[in-house]
Amino acid sequence: MILHPVDTILSLVLLSVLFSFGSSRLPGLIKVLAFQGIVVSMVPFFIGHDMNGGGIVFTFVTLLIRGIIIPMSIYIAIKKVAIKREVEPIIGYHASILCGLGLIVAATYISRQLNIVSISDYKLLFPTAIALLVAGMFLLMARRNAIAMVLGYIMMENGIYLVGTTISIRARHIVEFGILLDVLAGVMIMAIILQNIKRTFDDVDTANLRTLKE
Amino acid sequence: MVEIVFLTPFITGIIAFFLPKAISRQLLVATGAIHLFLSLFLWKNRPEAIFKSYFAVTPEGLLSLLVISLLFFLISIYTVAYLKESDIQKENIFTGSMILFLSTMTMVTLSDHIMVMWIAIEATTLASAPLIYTHRTSASLEATWKYVLICSVGIAMALLGSVFITLAMDIGNVDAPLSFSALTKVAGELDPMWLKAGFVFILVGYGTKMGLAPMHTWLPDAHSEAPSPASALLSGVLLNCAYLGIFKTNKIMHAAGLNDFSGTILIVFGLMSILAAATFILKQTEYKRMLAYSSIENMGIIAFGTGIGGIGVYGAMICMIHHSLIKSSLFLSSGNILLGYGNRFIENTGDMVKRMPKTFVAFFGGFAGISGFPPFGIFIGEMFIIVGAFRTGHFLAAGIFILSLCVIFAGFANQVMKISFDDFKKGDFKKGGSNKIIGLKERASMVWPQYILLLTSLVLCFYMPDTLYQTIIDAVTALGGGLK
Repeated sequence: MILHPVDTILSLVLLSVLFSFGSSRLPGLIKVLAFQGIVVSMVPFFIGHDMNGGGIVFTFVTLLIRGIIIPMSIYIAIKKVAIKREVEPIIGYHASILCGLGLIVAATYISRQLNIVSISDYKLLFPTAIALLVAGMFLLMARRNAIAMVLGYIMMENGIYLVGTTISIRARHIVEFGILLDVLAGVMIMAIILQNIKRTFDDVDTANLRTLKE
Repeated sequence: MVEIVFLTPFITGIIAFFLPKAISRQLLVATGAIHLFLSLFLWKNRPEAIFKSYFAVTPEGLLSLLVISLLFFLISIYTVAYLKESDIQKENIFTGSMILFLSTMTMVTLSDHIMVMWIAIEATTLASAPLIYTHRTSASLEATWKYVLICSVGIAMALLGSVFITLAMDIGNVDAPLSFSALTKVAGELDPMWLKAGFVFILVGYGTKMGLAPMHTWLPDAHSEAPSPASALLSGVLLNCAYLGIFKTNKIMHAAGLNDFSGTILIVFGLMSILAAATFILKQTEYKRMLAYSSIENMGIIAFGTGIGGIGVYGAMICMIHHSLIKSSLFLSSGNILLGYGNRFIENTGDMVKRMPKTFVAFFGGFAGISGFPPFGIFIGEMFIIVGAFRTGHFLAAGIFILSLCVIFAGFANQVMKISFDDFKKGDFKKGGSNKIIGLKERASMVWPQYILLLTSLVLCFYMPDTLYQTIIDAVTALGGGLK
C-alpha cells in the first residue's frame, strides 16, 4: 500500500491528538493546536478539487487565522494575565492517552465501515476527522481549565473543518467561511468571558463555576 | 427586498452601541416598530429575495418572523420602563445587543440555504451572550460561559450534520442548490443513510439550542441570569428559531419518505424534555428557573407534536405561537416581581395579589395559559397533539405525555400560589435577599405589554384570521400535517 502524502501528514495529526491528551501544560497544548490548524487548512491544497485564485487566497487566509493568529493570541493572553499553566485534568494523563489510543482505533474502524467513495484514496482523512472531533469533546469534558476547554472546542472545529472541506466540493467555500466566522467570533467571545472569569475568581479553573446547578 | 428586514436592525444595533443612554432606548422602540412594519409588509406581499439562493420567504419562517416582530416591539416598550427601574451598567451594550439579537433571529427565519441558516443560528448565540452577562455577577458569568460553550459545541454538531447532507447529495448524484426548498424537491434521490445521519446531528445540534433534554442544561441558568426582557426574548423566540432549523430539515426527511425515522427520534427527545421538566419543576426554589423549565417542557411538547405528524404538527405550530406569546409575558411579569421584591427566590416573595395587583393579573393569567387552561391556545394545541398521538397509535407515549403535563401543572400551580397568596415574610432573607420593601410603581408600560400578549393569545383562540390560518396550514402540509 502506498501512502498518499496527505495521509503522511495526517498521521502526524493523529499522533498530535495523543500528545495533546498527555500534555499537562497549556503552552504545549497550544502548540499542538497550532500544528493541527496548519495541517488541516493545508489539506484542501492536496486534494484534487479544482483550486481557483480566490480559493487559494481563501485557504491561505484560513491557514493564517487557524494556524497562527488564534494560537498566538491565546498564547499571548495567558502570558499577559499569568494564568496557571496546568490544564487541571479530571481524567488523568495516562488514562487519557489510553482513551486516545482506543479512540483512534475506533475511528479507523468506523470509517472503514462507512467507506465514503469521494475520499477513499485518502485512508486517514476520515479517521483523523472523527478522532479530532471526539478528542476535542474529550478535552472539553476531561479538563477543568477554561482555556483547555476552549482549545478542545477549537480542536473539534478542526475536525469538522477537515470533513467539511474535503468530503464534498459542494458549497465548500461557504463551509469554510462559516467555520472561520464561527471560530473567530466564538473564540473572541470566549476570550472576553475568560478575562472576566479571571478577574472575578482570580483563576480560570471551572471548578469555580459550580454555583448554578440543580 | 427581503434582506432589508434583518439589515435594518443590524445597522441600528451597531449604531446603538455608540449612542447615549436615552437615545439608545428610543432607538430600541423605534427599531421594534420599523421591524414590525417591515414584517407585516413581508407577510402581505411575500416578495422574493435579492439573493435567491440564500434567502426565501417560507410560511413557517413568516410565522416565526411575525411572532418575533410582535414580541420584540412589546418587549422593547417594557424594556424602556425596566431600564429606568433597574441599575444596569453599560446600557448601550444591552440595547445594542438586543437589536443585533433581533437582526440575527430575523435572519434565521428568512434563510433558506442550509449553511446560511447555520451561520445565522450561530450568530444568535454570539449576539445574545452579552445579554446574559448584563448583570456582571459571578453567577451570570457562569451562565454565559455555559451558554456559549454548550451552544457552540451543539451548533458544531449541526454543522457536521449539514455537511453530511451535502455528502448525501454527492452520493445520490443530485445537482441542486444547497437550500432547504431545493432539497425538499429532490429529497427522494438523496442517499438515505447519510440523510439520516445528517438529521440526527442537526437535531442534536439545533436541539441543544432549542433546549431539548438532555442538552438543556444551559437553558435554566441563562434564562434565570439574564435580565427579564432578555429572558423573554430568549425563551419566547430564540427557541423557536432553533426549532425552525429542525422543522426545515424534517421537511426534507418527510419528502424523502423517512418520516417514521425522524418522527420516532423527535418523539423520544420530546418526551425526555417533558419528563426532565416535570422532574425539576417540582423542587424549584427560583421563579425564573421555574419558567425556564416550563419552556423546556413546551419545547418538548412541540418536538413531540412534530414527531407525531398529522394533526399533531398543526397542534405543535399552535403551541409554538401561543408559547411565545404567553411565556414572554410571564418573563416580563417576573421582571416586575424581581424589581418589586429584589429577590429571585420564591420563598422570599408572597402576597403579590395585594402588593402588585396588576402584575398579579398578568402573572396568573400567564400561568393559566401556559399550563393549558381552556380559553388559551396551548390547550387547543395540546389537545390536537394528544388526539394525533391516539390516532397514530402512540398510546404509551400519549400516556407519559399526559401524566407529565399533570405533574408539571401541579408543581407550577404550587409555586404560583406561594408567590401570589402566601404571607410575605419581611425580614426573612436567608438567601441573600435585600431589605427593600416593595417599592415598584406599576407603570402602565410595565404591565400593558403583558396584557396585550395574553389578549393576543386569547383572541387567537376564538378568532384566527384566514391569512394566519392559511399560512399555518401551508407550513404543516409539507410535513403531512393538517386538520384532518
